[in-house]
Amino acid sequence: MDIDDILAEALHVSAPQETLDLQELTRAWVAERVAPELLPYPDALMERVLGRIRRQIETVEEQTGNMDPKTNFKLIVIQTELERFKFLVRSFLRARVAKNSAEYLSLSESKYLTAHQNLLASHYQSSFLSQFPNSLQKLDDTQGGISMIDAPDPDTAVFCRALRDVGEINVVGTGRAFVMKRGDVRVVRWSAIKEKVLAGDIELV
Amino acid sequence: MYGELGNKLVQHAKRTQALAHLPPYQAETVRAVTREVRDLEKDRASTLESLAGSFDPSTDPATACALLVNHLCQRRNKRCMLAYHRVRSDKLEEMCWSGIDVLERQQQAGKAGESAGSLGAESGNTSSLSPEEEEYVRQYSDLLAAYKGQWTDIDLTGSLEPPRDLFIDVRVLKDAGEIQTEYGAITLTKNSQFYVRQGDVERLIAQGYLQKLG
Repeated sequence: MDIDDILAEALHVSAPQETLDLQELTRAWVAERVAPELLPYPDALMERVLGRIRRQIETVEEQTGNMDPKTNFKLIVIQTELERFKFLVRSFLRARVAKNSAEYLSLSESKYLTAHQNLLASHYQSSFLSQFPNSLQKLDDTQGGISMIDAPDPDTAVFCRALRDVGEINVVGTGRAFVMKRGDVRVVRWSAIKEKVLAGDIELV
Repeated sequence: MYGELGNKLVQHAKRTQALAHLPPYQAETVRAVTREVRDLEKDRASTLESLAGSFDPSTDPATACALLVNHLCQRRNKRCMLAYHRVRSDKLEEMCWSGIDVLERQQQAGKAGESAGSLGAESGNTSSLSPEEEEYVRQYSDLLAAYKGQWTDIDLTGSLEPPRDLFIDVRVLKDAGEIQTEYGAITLTKNSQFYVRQGDVERLIAQGYLQKLG
C-alpha cells in the first residue's frame, strides 16, 4: 500500500454514501454498456438507489402545490436529480436485459428471461421448426460444425482504466503481456481483464 | 441449388435490420426452405437405407461426401431460418419497447390495403406479420408489461436519451386530448405549443402525438 492508496481510502471514507452510490451506479452503468458479457447484479446498491428514488418521489408529491418560490425551486432541483437517476437505472437495466445471458441475473430478470426464451422457442416451433425432421428440432444443438447457439464474444475489445496498480496482464492466445498502473487507460480484450473488473481493480470506460 | 433460398432469407433479414418498419413475412420462401430440408432428410434416409447399416466411408467416399453435404445443407438452412425469424422478432420487441401498438398498426394497414384492393390494386392478406408473429407480439407485450410493472418508479420503457432539462418545449402534432400534470390539466390541441415537464409527455412523444422542440 503506497501513499496514493492511503489517500484514496481516506477520500472514500469522507464521501457520503449517496455520493458513493451515484459513483458506483455510474460505474456499473458504463461497465454494463461496454462489457460484452452480463456483469453481476449489484443487489445492495440497487436496493439503496431505488429506495432513495421512491423517497424523493414521495417528497415531490408531498410538496407539490406549495407555492412558496423557495420550495418550488428546491422541487425543481430534486426533480431534475430524480430524472437523472431514473435515466441511469433505466438505461442500466435495459443494457442488462438486452444481453440475454444466464449468469448474474436478478430474480425478476431471470423470470423475464426464462419467459422470453420460452416465448421465442414456441415461436420458432410454430413458425417452422415443427415442420422440420425430428433430428433437427432442437435449439441447442451444435453438431456438424454449425452451432445453433449464439454467445457473446469474450474477445471483444473494451476500453478500461486501472483503479489501482494491478501488475501484469496476460492476453491469452496472443502471447502478449503488459503492466497496468493506477490510472492507465488501455484497449484490451475483455477476456484478459474480466477477472480484474469483477474484483473492482479495473473499471470500464 | 441447395441453400440458395436460405441465403435469400438471410439477405432479407439483413435488409430488415436497416428498415424502420417490418417488411412482409416471406411465407413462401419459409415454406420452400422447409420443403428443401424435408427433401434432404428423405434423401438421407433413403441413402442410409440402401446402405443397410454397413457403411465404410473410406471405401465409398462419394456416398460419405453426399451424406455430409446433405447434413450441412440441412443445418445451414435451419440456421438461416432461425436468423430470419430472430431478426423479425427482435424488431417486433423493439416496437413493443418503444410503445408502438404493433397489432393495431397492422390492422390499420390491413384496412388501408383492403380499400386499395377494392380499387383493383392488391388484394389478399395485407398484414406484414405472420399469424405466429402476431401471437408472439401479443404474448411478448404481456411479458413486457409484467416486467415493467416491477419497476414502476423508473418507467423502463422511458427515454434512453440522458435528460438535460426538466421542462421542454413541445408542439402538438395530433390532438391528444387532456393530460394531467402537477400544474393542472393541459388540453393538447393540434398545432399548439407548450412548455411542459418531459416526464409527463414522454409517452406522447414516443407515440408521435407531440414533437420535442429545440
